[in-house]
Formats: sequence, structure tokens, C-alpha cells
Amino acid sequence: MKPNINWLISKVENNLALNQRTLKIYSKILVIGYLLMSVIFYFLAGEQLHFRESRENINMQTANSGTVELTSGSLAEQTFINNIQRITSVSVAWGTYNRHNKGTVYIDVYELNGNIQIMHQELSAGEITEGYISTFTFEKPVEGLTGAPLLLKITADSMPGSAVSPLMNTAASKDGFLLSLNGNSVPGMLCFSVKGEDYIWIGLHYWKFVVVGAFLLVFYILVTLHSIKNGKKPLLFMALVAIRKYRFLIRQLVARDFKAKYKRSFFGILWSFLNPLLTMLVQYLVFSNLFRFDIPYYSVYLLCGIVIFNYFSEACGMTLNSIVGNASLITKVYVPKYIYPLTRVISSFINLLIAMVPLLIVTFASGLYPTKAYLLLPFVLVCLAVFCLGLGMLLASAMVFFRDMQFLWGVISMVWMYLTPLFYPESILPSSVAILLKGNPLYYFIKFVRACVMDGISPEPIMYVLCFFFAVISILLGAFVFKKTQDRFVLYL
Amino acid sequence: MQFRLSGDRIMSLKEFVTAKIGGKLTYDEFWALKNISFEVYKGEVFGIIGRNGSGKSTLLKVISGILKPTEGVVKCQGNVVPMLELGSGFDMDLTGRENIFLNGAILGYSEEFLRSEYDRILEFSELGHFIDVPIRNYSSGMLMRLAFSIATMVNPQILIVDEILAVGDEAFQKKSRDRMMQLMSGGTTVLFVSHNLSQIKELCDRVLWLDGGGVRMLDLADLVCDSYEI
Repeated sequence: MKPNINWLISKVENNLALNQRTLKIYSKILVIGYLLMSVIFYFLAGEQLHFRESRENINMQTANSGTVELTSGSLAEQTFINNIQRITSVSVAWGTYNRHNKGTVYIDVYELNGNIQIMHQELSAGEITEGYISTFTFEKPVEGLTGAPLLLKITADSMPGSAVSPLMNTAASKDGFLLSLNGNSVPGMLCFSVKGEDYIWIGLHYWKFVVVGAFLLVFYILVTLHSIKNGKKPLLFMALVAIRKYRFLIRQLVARDFKAKYKRSFFGILWSFLNPLLTMLVQYLVFSNLFRFDIPYYSVYLLCGIVIFNYFSEACGMTLNSIVGNASLITKVYVPKYIYPLTRVISSFINLLIAMVPLLIVTFASGLYPTKAYLLLPFVLVCLAVFCLGLGMLLASAMVFFRDMQFLWGVISMVWMYLTPLFYPESILPSSVAILLKGNPLYYFIKFVRACVMDGISPEPIMYVLCFFFAVISILLGAFVFKKTQDRFVLYL
Repeated sequence: MQFRLSGDRIMSLKEFVTAKIGGKLTYDEFWALKNISFEVYKGEVFGIIGRNGSGKSTLLKVISGILKPTEGVVKCQGNVVPMLELGSGFDMDLTGRENIFLNGAILGYSEEFLRSEYDRILEFSELGHFIDVPIRNYSSGMLMRLAFSIATMVNPQILIVDEILAVGDEAFQKKSRDRMMQLMSGGTTVLFVSHNLSQIKELCDRVLWLDGGGVRMLDLADLVCDSYEI
């Protein structure tokens, strides 16, 4: 028996000594990892790190009238002012008097202050059909035109009787917008749109952020290492020790969750895979036949939402019960209580990873192929898991004191599901509800995933910030409440 | 250790709010343990006796960290293994083998330790090939044998025991009692609760007599047991 005790003791000491030395290695890995990630992210994010679709785009008015028959010599001029930082394209809507037309249409854009022509495009009138919207893209995005008066001039060389007409809206008006037809100023606006991109502040200063971040990281590590040397136990160090100490327990509990969940079912773990697929199938059949939303790749759109939301509701639902459900353990053995919510979130996370497989299969089957943006998914998934952990800890604490929480949560998660654009496009929401969307964390998580999977591009940098922000807020709040109340759990179990 | 016992146990938010507003929320303060202060020395076998409801189990729970005292502190030097209940955390759908690792992890054993001791646990439990059967099919005796084997395979620095555990059939009871004795005499510090006074006398160096949440007597085992019996 004796050597056994010594073995255990030396093991404990070894662990602590190991930490002193390995901490330095960990720190180095952390710093190098950070720098590496920054560079990798720079390339993965690509264009989206620097530009986003401008919020100042001029949108097309609904047409309610034609302008002039665009014969040789007649002209439509629309002056306008815009705040787009990089203009990429101009579009014009056409009417044809429902006939086939001939000739060529000329579209010119001038900058009026310096009277410089910035675009000249031609379009064969024969190609134009009624209501056709022609888009003219600049060879290179034009910059530096914010606030400058611009002129869109449309002329043609068609003969009367076979000429097209640009459309207009007679009621629309905007400051600095002036429409004149054949030289006579008229009320209303031409049906045209101007699109472009804006610079993103974070993108412009990306490397500065990286450098500042690196300095902060190194500084923090040095402070931590220093205080460990002085015998203090900073949070980071304690977390590391706890993870090392309870790694085995966490693994066992996660394994139990898994084995117990599917132990007596015929398909077993296949259910993690089948569940989202079947849900999607049902919803796909219902919504694609009943409501007909105009969403490209609707099945992928739907499945992205379902997979993410399922994870959320499963993880939160399971953590909600993690304390009450483990009552027999908590009252008999001492284990740090945060282990229970944590294991539940981890085991649902594994479920999520399995559920990603059908998502990818459906994505490929729909004709979307993997892009480098897939590599950005781990970020949002980890943020989501942290978010669920925070919320789950909050719910689990609440559940101990008020058992009503489980029923309340059922209702809340259902309302939450309908308020999140899972199966409908966000554009159908009335503006009053759309405001709610801005405060809905899941909306951002799902939007992030959709950008990566469907568009194959990185979302705007602000999305990273928001996802991270929601995760941090949630975990701080959850951990705070949990820590405050955990000593009283055992009295209420 | 103070408990606040409310008139009815309030379990719902609505009840709580209405009671709070109505000012009906009164608590009966009840001290399960009060003014308990003692030291246990290294290698000592320390007995705790007292009538039902005198706070013995609460004290053990406080010492093992399951309950946090309302006031005061518990200082432990060394790893504490509480043996308050056997088989906590057993999952009925898992096999015996899987439960050894699960239960072991919950009791705080390391993975290497469990792997190296696995054969001894199996041998001691005498379960043989039943170890790969889901434990919902076990008889209660088999369950207890497995639980006991896992729980006593450790050599803690501080051991907390609520009643000497003798489980299973007669042969196994003897074996498990021997194992407990071996554990308790191996230089380990033991906190030991029992109603069996002869056992207490036999094993303990000193005994604490709890009565109504307070210390009635704390002295050498024979002295306390004699006055307790009167």
C-alpha cells in the first residue's frame, strides 16, 4: 500500500512542477499561434476585410412612368449626389413601349465639379426588353466622389418608333437630385441605382490591431508568469490547472452523455446525423411548397439555420437540467459544479459536429462547393458554444431555485426560434420586429455561418466582433451568477 | 452550518414573488451545526457519534466540501476521499467496465491509476465476465460489490467514512470489512461515523460526541463511549 501513496503524492507534485515549465511553452505557443492566426485570417478574410457593401447605395425607385422616347437628339439627365466610397456599378431600368427597338443607347456619367467623364457605356437597344434593368460596372471602382455632384446622362441614336425609354418615378425626390428631360427640368427621379463599397475601418488598420493585440498578449503573459513566480495564482493559471485536473472526468462524463443517449436505440449515433436531416426535409417540403420564399439555395439556407438553432436549444436545454439532473452526485461527491454544464455543452457540441455532415452533404448536392471561408467556421462555432455555456449556466442556476424555469424555457426557446430567420428571409419581417433581430445573438451566428457556407466569403469584420461580444457577455454573466449561487445549490436539490 | 428552512418549500417563481410581496416569506433559522471546532491529527482514526439528526452526516459533508459552511472554515491538508455513499454517478445503461471509469473519474482518480488498478478492482469485485454487461442487469448485491471495489481501491491521505461498509453476501461482507480495516489502519487519517460503539471503541483513537448540532464531548474513545452509553 505504501508505495501507492507515494506514487499519488509524487504525481500531484509532478503536475504542479510540470506547470511551471510547461507554462512557458504554452505561452510561446499562444503568442506564435496568435500571430499565425492573424496572418491566416488576413488571407482567409480577403476582400471582405477591407470593403463592405456600401450603406449609402442609391436604390432603384419603383417605376410609374416612362420618360422620353430616346430618339437621336433627345436626352435624359439625372444629377445626383452620393456618399459611396468606391462606386462599382450603375443600373438603369428601361421601358420599350412593348415593341422591338433598334439603335444604340449611350450611358455617360460625369463628375460636374471638374466636368470629367467617368463612364461611357453603350448598349444595343435591341437587347432591351420591357422592365429590363441594365447594370453597368466600372472597370475599376471609382473612388473620391463622395458628396460630389454627378450627372447620369442617357442618349441614343435610335429612330422615332423604334426607340426605348428609361423609366422614372414621378413622385420621388431627394436633395441634390434633379431630373431633366431634353433640357427641361421635371419633378421626379429616374429609375436608377448606384452601388458600391465602403472601406472598413478595421480592415484599414488591420495590422495595427494585430500589433497592439500582440503587445497586450505578451504583456498579459509576462504579468501572469511573474505573479505565478511570486506564488500567486492568477485566473488563467487556475483555469489551466483545473482543466488538467478534470480533463479525465470531463471526458468520462461526455462519453456517458453520448453512450447513455443512444444506448438503447437501433440507429444509435446515426440519430445525431438523421435528426437535422429529417427536420430539414419536413420544413423544406412545408416551406418551399407553402410559402415560396425567394431564396437561392433554400435547402442550404434552411439547414444552416436548423443545425445552429438545434445546437443552441439542445445545449441550453441540457445545461438547464445539468445541476438538477445530477443532484444525486452533487449531494454525495465534491466536484466543481461548473463541470456539469460544461460537459453538457461539450457533448452537444460533438452532436453539432456530426450534424454538420448532413449540412455539408446538402450543400454539395445543391451545387455549392467548399471555399476557404469554411476555415472560418470554427470561430463562430466556438463563439456559439461559449454563448450557450454562459446562457446555460444562468439557466441551470435559475432552475435550481425555480423549477418553473424548464417550462418557461420551453416557451422562450420556441419564441426565440420564430424570431430568428431560420426558414424565412429576414426581409419579410416588419420593421418593428426587425429591430429585435439586431439584439438577437443567434441571428448573427446563423448569418455568419450562412455567409461562409452559402456565399463562400468571410462576413464583414463587424460580424466577428459581434459574435465574440455576445459570447463574452453571455459567459461573464452566466459565470458570475453561477459562482454567486453555486454554494446554495446543494440546499435546494 | 446554518439552514434556512422556510415554512413551505418554495419551488416556483410565482409562489416566491407572491409570498415575498405578501410578506409571508419567513424563515425558521436552524443551525444544523454550531460552534464546532476541533482538530484531527495526521494518522489518527477519529470517530464521530451521536443520535439521529445530531449533525453527523452534515459535518462529514461540510468537511468533504459538498456543503459550504455558512460561517467558519474547514482546513484540510491532503486529498480527501469521502465514502458517504457507494456508487454515486453509476449509469445504469453503461457496462460495469464503463462504470468503473466513470465512477472512478467522479471520485477523482486519475486515468493512469484506474488503468493500472483496473484488474485489481475487477478481481476484488468478483464480477468476472459480468463486467461487460450493462449494470441495470446486476443484482443489488453485485452493484454494491462493484461500487465498493471502486471506492476502496484508493489510498487517500484523509478518508471519510459514514458507517463501515460491509456489503454483499457473507463471504464478501467479511472481505469488505477486512478491506475497510486495512484502509483505516494503513496510516491514513480517518473520520469515521458509526452507531456501532464496539467498533468505535476498537478502531478510534478519539471520539467526538455530537448532540443537537453542538459538541457534547470530545475525548479518548473509551471515555466518550462510556458516557454515551449511560
